[in-house]
Amino acid sequence: MAKKQSREASHAWRHIFIWGMILFALFPIYVVITSSLNNSGGLSTSSLIPKKISFDNYRSLFNDDSIPFMRWILNSIILASLNAVISVMVGIAAAFAFSRLKFKGRKLSLQALLLVQVFPSFLALAAIYVIMERIYNVFPSIGLGTMWGLLLVYLGGSMGANAWLLKGFLDSIPADLDEAAKIDGASSVQIFWLIFLPLSVPILIVTTLLSFIGTFNEFVLASLFLQEVNERTVAVGLQSFVGSNFGANWGAFAAGSVVASVPLVALFLSLQKYVVSGVTAGSVKG
Amino acid sequence: MTSKFRKSLALIAKFVLLAITVGILGNMAYLAYLANEGLMGTVLAVLAVGAILIYSTPRFTASKFFYPGIIFLLLFVITPVIYTAVMSTYNYKDGNLITKDQALTQLIDVTGIVPDESGVSYEYIPGRCKGELAMLLKNIDTEEVSLACDSRVTPLAEGQYTIDEFGVPTGAEGFTAFVGDEQFAYDEEIANLKFKIEDPAADNRYIRADGAGMAFDAIQTLTYDAEKDELYNTVNGLTYVNNGNGNFVNPNNPDEKIFPGWRQLNPAQNYAKILTDPVLRDPFIRVFIWTIVFAFTTVVMMGFVGLLVAVALDKRIRFRNIYRGLLILPYAMPSFMSILIWAGMFNRDYGAINTLFGTDLDFFNNPWSARAMLLIVNLWLGFPYFYMISTGALQALPTDLEEAAALDGATEKQIFFRIKMPLVLQILSPLLIASVAFNFNNFNLVYLLTKGGPTNVLDGETAGATDILITYAYKTAFAGAEQNLGLASAISVIVFIIVGIVSLWSLKRSKVLEEVR
Repeated sequence: MAKKQSREASHAWRHIFIWGMILFALFPIYVVITSSLNNSGGLSTSSLIPKKISFDNYRSLFNDDSIPFMRWILNSIILASLNAVISVMVGIAAAFAFSRLKFKGRKLSLQALLLVQVFPSFLALAAIYVIMERIYNVFPSIGLGTMWGLLLVYLGGSMGANAWLLKGFLDSIPADLDEAAKIDGASSVQIFWLIFLPLSVPILIVTTLLSFIGTFNEFVLASLFLQEVNERTVAVGLQSFVGSNFGANWGAFAAGSVVASVPLVALFLSLQKYVVSGVTAGSVKG
Repeated sequence: MTSKFRKSLALIAKFVLLAITVGILGNMAYLAYLANEGLMGTVLAVLAVGAILIYSTPRFTASKFFYPGIIFLLLFVITPVIYTAVMSTYNYKDGNLITKDQALTQLIDVTGIVPDESGVSYEYIPGRCKGELAMLLKNIDTEEVSLACDSRVTPLAEGQYTIDEFGVPTGAEGFTAFVGDEQFAYDEEIANLKFKIEDPAADNRYIRADGAGMAFDAIQTLTYDAEKDELYNTVNGLTYVNNGNGNFVNPNNPDEKIFPGWRQLNPAQNYAKILTDPVLRDPFIRVFIWTIVFAFTTVVMMGFVGLLVAVALDKRIRFRNIYRGLLILPYAMPSFMSILIWAGMFNRDYGAINTLFGTDLDFFNNPWSARAMLLIVNLWLGFPYFYMISTGALQALPTDLEEAAALDGATEKQIFFRIKMPLVLQILSPLLIASVAFNFNNFNLVYLLTKGGPTNVLDGETAGATDILITYAYKTAFAGAEQNLGLASAISVIVFIIVGIVSLWSLKRSKVLEEVR
């Protein structure tokens, strides 16, 4: 009995500490939700407990013609999902070659890939800008200022990390499997499509999700590329509400944040188990 | 479906896809050549040929798999990196963005042609003659009509041109006037043309349009001597020499530059500037130190708190699953949004922090509170990640070690600090290093929270107290009063080298490079 009490006491610090951390974690989320329901304009103006609840901010988000909020969300979803799907598909193919096929310069290119994937692509920002400007002069639809140009830059940027992560997974698939298939006369293309791709579905989901979240959060390149109001992503659009020193519209920003994050948080929590295994495998969220 | 049918279907699909891809690439290569982008055209053509070689034959099995990935990597990661290195060796900034040929054309044909003192002006009708842009001119005073065509002005005698009922000339032999919208479509291009006036007394007289329906007698004030590489001003008699850094300057006053200049190769200049010019060096060193301090401090804080949470939740305490779900919420939120929310909460006038504590503090205007803010916000963003991976590491520890130590009489504390913690830290260390490298370039956090501020604008500084190298480079390239792409590239190259060394070192340490199989 005494022992049990002392154990409970030794657990007390855990509860206190954890509750402190939970308050810390939830405070901004609480503030943004109450601010979105408050039409007076700030992130919590006078009190932390809302006195009056109003849905004006949400209404203006969907009805105000000067705020193409749904377009922004759509742009972000199109960019993030195309980038995630294409880069993961192209990535898994490359990962298969690096993991299973023999070719000249394989080890060297792998080491190069390992180094390249640690560099964030926006470090070469000025160069990307100049290059895409030149591309724009020849091909206006895929150059600077367009979503498709931005998608190309994103694809290049996510290729290295995705290929590396996926190769790590493919390495863990036992070699007996493809050797047996080879003896049965299967070509590498068949082995890839019929054996490796089906086996990789879980890791493909994780990589796609992480890629999607990464692109959804990307701000620098998007703000440099997309100047037109209608072309913006949700990150650039929401920042424009509060980025200027004058006339910050925190209410609309808060409502927009709630709308945009609910699906993402739901997706994240529902795939929590996979995500945790994915991040533990070594990717850092951007 | 028989397998034979499926096979031939796949074959057809493959060739259709290949044909479409090659067709698009080939067409793009052709367009690039047409637009005088030889390099771009060649790259596209090589890509198309490569695709045919790799996918139409049974050889090159491995290339079939990695060809698309390598191309994306080469075009949009490797090329920009090389381009950055090249740009960093040029004097490449506002006023020095074009090539020398373009700058000379601009100087001789546009900047160097100014209306002369006579004040003679013309109305003009734009059109074409001999396939080129041309003007039909009417002198406003004398009402004489002339044709500006093929870089030259020819006076027209009565009868050589037609006029409408208002006396405005409408056409001439060999000249077709623009009709409708075309009249205005070429205004800007016409304003860049000069037409020589045949005059035995002077060979520097021209007519040029102003782009808004009027034209003037003008005089060539700048001429270029290609041999001496000098520019002469015919009006004030001054000679401007090439300063070797992308501008023609007055030799008696090197700061008197003629614009536009051109981008000039000057390999060490930008680097030397960063290292020696106090206006750049001092902020650069300050930013550099803060970048390192920030990257390490923030990772230590996130790692420590994350680990502490993991340890606290390692025992089966009540509500553990609920706690876990609530604690990883910050990681699940889109991070750019969270940063902006925090920025609003720290706002002096209506932010939640001042409301909560009943204070009236201006967090953004004091360097130290701004720095503390970055660390707090990044702690919020990052501790759930380290909590998750620390939990994973704690669960992965072999239990027999613990049992053996307990048998040897070790206390619970000893087991924790002497056995568990060293092992957990060993598992975490590669991820901690990766996180340092990531935060070294955490653009979003700094830019969205403080924009690098507070900045001492009065002293003319561009670097703020919370700027890290990458935001400093961004400001130099895009946000300052003068955009300096060359200097920004040089800063980027330095960051590349630092990140490269840190990553190589950590990869060497963890022996990943050697273990690549």
